[in-house]
Amino acid sequence: MSDDTALSKPVDLEVASAPVVEPDPAPSVFELDDLHVSYGDFLAVKGVDLDIRKHEITAFIGPSGCGKTTVLRCFNRMNDLIPTARVEGSLRYHGVDLYAPGVDAVEVRRRIGMVFQKPNPFPKSIYDNIAFGPRIAGVKAGLDDVVEEALRRAALWDEVKDRLKSSAMGMSGGQQQRLCIARAIATNPEVVLMDEPCSALDPIATARIEDLMQELKHDYTIIIVTHNMQQASRVSDRTAFFVTEVNDESDTRTGLLVEYDLTEKIFSNPSDERTENYVTGRFG
Amino acid sequence: MSPDDSAEPERPLRALFGEELGQLHLQVELMCVLVDENLERMRTILVDGDVGLVSVALRADDEIDAMNLSLTERCYVLLARESPVASDLRLVVSVLRATSELERIGDLALRVVKLAPDHHLLTADRRCHDILVSMADDALDRYRMALRAWAMLDLGLATQLTSPSTAMDLATERLTEHLITLHGTDAVPIALSVSAAARALDRIADHTVILGARLRYLLTGEPGHLAAEVR
Repeated sequence: MSDDTALSKPVDLEVASAPVVEPDPAPSVFELDDLHVSYGDFLAVKGVDLDIRKHEITAFIGPSGCGKTTVLRCFNRMNDLIPTARVEGSLRYHGVDLYAPGVDAVEVRRRIGMVFQKPNPFPKSIYDNIAFGPRIAGVKAGLDDVVEEALRRAALWDEVKDRLKSSAMGMSGGQQQRLCIARAIATNPEVVLMDEPCSALDPIATARIEDLMQELKHDYTIIIVTHNMQQASRVSDRTAFFVTEVNDESDTRTGLLVEYDLTEKIFSNPSDERTENYVTGRFG
Repeated sequence: MSPDDSAEPERPLRALFGEELGQLHLQVELMCVLVDENLERMRTILVDGDVGLVSVALRADDEIDAMNLSLTERCYVLLARESPVASDLRLVVSVLRATSELERIGDLALRVVKLAPDHHLLTADRRCHDILVSMADDALDRYRMALRAWAMLDLGLATQLTSPSTAMDLATERLTEHLITLHGTDAVPIALSVSAAARALDRIADHTVILGARLRYLLTGEPGHLAAEVR
């Protein structure tokens, strides 16, 4: 035990060594209550309860087939595009049930943008890729400013400002993914969903995207699906861990939310043994 | 998730890393045993003044130091290579702390060992010597409790360790009271030698408190236990 010295600053040990606790929870953007997702007779995910907080990055982790992406796609009703998909339970966005009759799925997707695993720019110019969403939304005046702002927010402006009319297909993989992020935020959404946005990128491009996410979270709420646990621990504020539950009788697998907590807690002292086994890499 | 997605069957992964963590735990136990042997030598020297044991203890301490260095490097490699998290991370950082404490306990034992040439001063006053031997016994008892706690990852024993030894406190108090009553030409050298030995024994007991606190942190993940290490 160290001796006290006159030079040492007094440290409040109770505070310094306090367990991981939430200082002041941000307001909820999404509230999921007992969410079930099925494809036909197949129950893909069951009983998901969680809140997504404003201006936070929430990571979904878990083994392949545990339903992370399925849940992610519920947030902007992407599952609507699959004819047999059925969402039960409650998914509220600022208190509004996203699956209630009369809710416009297109408007939902404008407010809740998405970035996919592989960069998927349109085979058009860099400018047109960004301008596409705002044009669809009827923006005509000030389009140049919208494009510049989106590219600046995606940390891409300096790299492409002199070649806005060049094809987006000529950009590097990392640039294409940042372009897709710029495209997602050009319609001024509140939430950005990211489905393994770095899985096709090299470490440097991945680091750029991670830095960008930290910048973006000041303006947007971000939900990310990732297989990279170090990425989840680096970038996210909260982490949800999903597993696959095997039903031997029907030989089917259903995704299940095991634990949802502050990321620091999940990666330092998780409450559930299954989470511990997964984050330490003992079981996948 | 689509219906044809298949989940991999549950099986242990990172088996090699798991084995390395097991080895790390075992190596700390071995280091504990080396320190234990030197503490026993320390006690023998304190009781009998066996100067022949001094060189043995010094060599053993070199081995303890080498083991501390080797385990530290091993922990750094595991941190860099495996990026451990949760209980794995707690184990690695706890090994770093525990080995450092063990090395320190070894050094404190040597302080008493190196008093062997002055054994006549340590035994000059019967009462002082009796108290010193009781302090050595208490330090050894606590140390062995720490060794068992670490070997068995026993939260109960670890919790017991985090309460400072009242026996040690009482012995220190009794010793101080007695030392100030000494008089005669050898009173000062006796008091200095006895105080040096007593201080080292008391510190050994203090370090077992840290070992207990660190083990509680390792087993529970509660950062509150870390505070006990610096109190």
